[in-house]
Parts: sequence; structure tokens; C-alpha cells
Amino acid sequence: MTATLTPAERPGADDAAPPTIAVTGLSVRYGGFYAIKDLTTALPGGEIVGVIGPNGAGKSTLLNAISGFTPLTEGTITLGERDLGTASTAQRVRAGLVRGFQTVRLMERESVLTNVLVGTQRLPQPDPVSQLFALPRQWRARRRDLAAAMAVLDLLGLGADAERRVDELPFASRRLVEVARVLVSEPSVILLDEPAAGLDRSGRRDLASVLVRVHRDHPSTLVVVEHDVDLVKSLCSHVIALASGALVCSGTPAEVFGDPRVQQAYFGRILDAPA
Amino acid sequence: MSAGVSDRMTAAPGQAAPARPRKSTRSVAVRTAVIVVLVAAPPLIFSGYWLFVAAQVLAFGIATLGLEILYGRTGQLSLAHASFMGVGAYTGYVLSQHGYGVPAQLGAVLVVALVTGAIVAVPTLRLSGLRLALVTLAVGELFAWLLTNTTGLTGGTQGAAVAPVVIGSLDSSVPLYAYLIALVPAALATLLAVHLGRTQLGRRMLLVRDSETAARSVGVAIARTKIIAFLLSAVFAGFAGWLYSVVAGFISPADFNLFASVYLFVAVILGGAGSVVGAWLGAAYVVFMPQLFTLMGQPNLYPLIGGAILAVVALLIPDGMVGLARRLLTRAQRRRVTATEVAA
Repeated sequence: MTATLTPAERPGADDAAPPTIAVTGLSVRYGGFYAIKDLTTALPGGEIVGVIGPNGAGKSTLLNAISGFTPLTEGTITLGERDLGTASTAQRVRAGLVRGFQTVRLMERESVLTNVLVGTQRLPQPDPVSQLFALPRQWRARRRDLAAAMAVLDLLGLGADAERRVDELPFASRRLVEVARVLVSEPSVILLDEPAAGLDRSGRRDLASVLVRVHRDHPSTLVVVEHDVDLVKSLCSHVIALASGALVCSGTPAEVFGDPRVQQAYFGRILDAPA
Repeated sequence: MSAGVSDRMTAAPGQAAPARPRKSTRSVAVRTAVIVVLVAAPPLIFSGYWLFVAAQVLAFGIATLGLEILYGRTGQLSLAHASFMGVGAYTGYVLSQHGYGVPAQLGAVLVVALVTGAIVAVPTLRLSGLRLALVTLAVGELFAWLLTNTTGLTGGTQGAAVAPVVIGSLDSSVPLYAYLIALVPAALATLLAVHLGRTQLGRRMLLVRDSETAARSVGVAIARTKIIAFLLSAVFAGFAGWLYSVVAGFISPADFNLFASVYLFVAVILGGAGSVVGAWLGAAYVVFMPQLFTLMGQPNLYPLIGGAILAVVALLIPDGMVGLARRLLTRAQRRRVTATEVAA
């Protein structure tokens, strides 16, 4: 995406290093049920962080808590130096934190391009009057947003589908449109909830290579909740394993997938132990 | 992932992004020609009363565009839209009674529409769907009550004769001039509605309509977006009401009651919610159809036939006339492609 834009044109260009997300004593309770209980961990800045765990482990809840979609029952979450405790979702987005969803949420009757362009909301946009009356700053913003959207669509192989309606696309492409909507503003923190769900093997491989390329060209803290062990191993430099709302372990993929507790949770046995 | 997507996703890094696919020159020329013909046709075909009716279509079209922005694009269902038309109509009427000219009337319509739009929009921010419809219905009833109980100011249920406006050498009491006077705001409203779709504000509205959760995830201020949609919609309706009063020359509370709001809603649904062309088709339908039945000497048949048409559209053509046309066009294109492939 960045290859086609000059530094001045890069939408979310930010010189600051991608921030670390620190989670301290986090609990999230739904009624009487703790989805996450007393979780303390860090998602290192500038790394591709995988969050793994069986169903009900609290992975999506963690993403919801970080992105402001779920209120915290206890604990704190900081983005770099900033406490996210009371920040609204809009404030978090402005701070550079953008997320995708496990279930694709798109404007089905609109074009692919429109769906991606709306992701530029994080960038400075002209006031509504300037937008409505097509003042010069509106055209400048429009040119910038169009260039960014077409670049990210090209990167994801959807450039030729830009004008097609989303409901005409196969599921896998729609999944990519949502990823494009997240990536288009080049946020410094990207949260993706099972981005490879519904993709076939080659699709998952290609998505991983695109995410690696995006991360290389535009360093960010990229957090991926994922079930696919191979994808996490190939994509992530840091892995956090959760189970029943608590931290099992964290570290490099080798360390985490070598941990007997993770093997037990994932494979039902320890891999190098006799079956 | 489909093979095609998978193949294309591995495009070489650094490869220039493709330019946005543009509409062909032929397509733009055809659209322009169609618009020119549609705009030029009424004065060439009609005269007298029917040209007034055509001017009323233009006024209702502006109001329908406003409701299309509010409901079609933002998903906010309002049953007080005709009341905002009434606000514009009566503001212009009251000012004209005090000797104010067109610029002052239009300025006042803008301000009053914005204020009344905000008064309705802000308290109803957290409402949507049926609950919002019920609250706006109550607002509409309150407005009707106000009109009928301020006889000294508005003429009450007896209505009020609106003095024609003269802009340059155009007198709105002359059918052709009424049409030409109505054409300018109609064109501006259409351009604004089309342009809105190309702005981030317009895209925000669409995302709020389709998924507030997704809207939050990209930083859309949902409340602000809904308020702006409401205000825009109120301003469109206000100007439409003023224009209607000038073209019709007479206004009464019955012009802006619940039924009028429902007809505007019907126009949006029949034309195709979310489409500027649909808004115009819908406006033409709701203004011309009753007149046609009256012309045929069967005015009582309109509610029956109109209701049946609405039921058919709601059941079979959820995207309205524009959606139907789009589907037929796509089918024809597919057939043409298949025929070409077979021939090859």
C-alpha cells in the first residue's frame, strides 16, 4: 500500500514508534460470568502479535476491551503512555487503533471502493460544509483517500473489483474488503479478529504475506486473533495464549507452542509425549 | 478465497495502484442526454395546469431527496418530513405577509428548518426504527395542531393564499415561469444529493445505516452523523415546502399532515431508497398518479390502486423502481454476454 504513495500522501503517516499495549489486572464480566479475569500481559509495540486460545478463552473479549467495545470491569489498558480507560471508541481510533470483526460487517449494497473509503474516517477530514460544497480541501482529501483506497485494494488483489457491489463478491473477497477498510488509514495499532476465517489454504497464505508486507512497509502493532496454528506461526513474532479468560503463557511462537499447557489446550496432549 | 483473488493478491510490491475505474464517456453522455430531455420535456409537452403539476413534482422531489438522505442513506425513519415542508412553507408565507422578499424568506426558511430539525433530531438520537417513527409522528401531529390553532398567523384550517414571487422577470403565477423557478433549486438539490454520496460524510451515513458497530470501529461519530442527516433532510424539506407554497399559491395544514409524510415515504420506497434517481421517480409518481386518476374521472380508485402498487413493490421489488431497472439491465447484459460467447 505504501509503495505507491509519497510520504506526504501517506494517509496515516506517523513518525512515532508503534505503541505497546499494556494490559494490567484486566477483568471483563458479563453478568456473573468472567470472560477475562485478572489478566496482565503486554502486546509489544511494532510486532505482529497472535492471540490464541480455545473457544471461550477470552480472545475476542480482549480485542473488544482494547478497542473500547466492551467496558472494563476492573484493570487498566494503556496504549503507549496513554490510559485508554475512559477513551471512547472514536478517541481510540483517532489515537491510531483500528479493528476488524470476526463477522464481516460491510455495506453490502455499496461498492468495494465505498466500503474501503469509509475507513479513511480516521484521517483529518474537511468539515461537513466544506465536504458538501466541494471546497478545495474536500477535493484534496478526496484525492488522498482515493489514492490510499486504490493502493490498498491493489495490494489485496481487489483493484479490479473496486466498483463492484460488495454483495456480488464471494465471501473470501468480502473478508478482504473489511481488512482493506482497516488498513487504508495505516493505523499504528491494527486489531484483526480471525481475519483468515472462511479463507482456503492459499487464501490464508496470501493474506499472511500481505499482512507481513503491510507491517514491513508501515510498522504497526498488529494484533491477530486466530485459530489457525500454522498462520500464527508463520505470521506472528509474539504470541499470547489464553484459556478460560486467563493468561496461559506468552512469548515467541516457538516458546508458546512448545509450552505443554498450550499443547494440552490445543491438541489435547503434549506433542512430544507418547500418545 | 477464490483463485482469482488469490492470484491477484500476490501482485508485485511496488506495482502502481490501478486508477479508479471510470464511467465511460458514452455512459456519461447518455445520462446527460436523458436528464436534458426529462428537464426540457414538461414545458414542451404540457401547458397551463399540468406545467404547475410538473413544478410541484420538482418541489416534492426536493423533499423526497431530503427523506432519501435521512431514511435511504442514514436509515432514520421519520414521519414528520411533511411537517418540515410545512415549516418552510409557512415561514415563507408569514414573512411575505410582512413584506419581506425572496432572499429574506429563503434565509429564514434555512434558519427555521435547521432549528426545528435540531429540536427533533437531538432528543431522538438514541431512537431508531419504529420508535423513531412514532416520536416523529407525534411531532407531525403537534405541528398540525399548531397550524390549526394559530389562525391569525397561518390561516388555520381554512388555509392561506400565498402571493406569487417574482424573480427577475419570472412570475411564479405563470406556469412556465413557475416551472423554471422550481427547476433551479431542484437542480441544486439534486447536485448536492449526488455530491453527498462522494463525500466522507455521505459514506459515514451509509455505514451508520448498515452497521453502527462497524461505524464505531472506524471512528464515525454516530450521533453527529445522524444529526447532520436530520438537519440536511429538514433543510431540503423546508426549501421544498417554500417552493411548493410559491408554485401552488395556496397552503393549508392538510398539505403537511401525516398523510403527506406517508406519501413522501412512499415516494422513497417506490423509487428505491438510497437512490437520487429513485427519489425523483417516486416524487413524480406520488404527484402525477392522483392527478391521472382524477383526469380519468376515477379519483377514488387511486388509494386502492396505489395501495396495491405499494404492496407489490414492498413484497417483490424491495429496491424500488431503480432496483428493478438495475436488475433488468444486469440480466440483459448477462444475456448479451452469453449470446456473444455462444456466437464466438
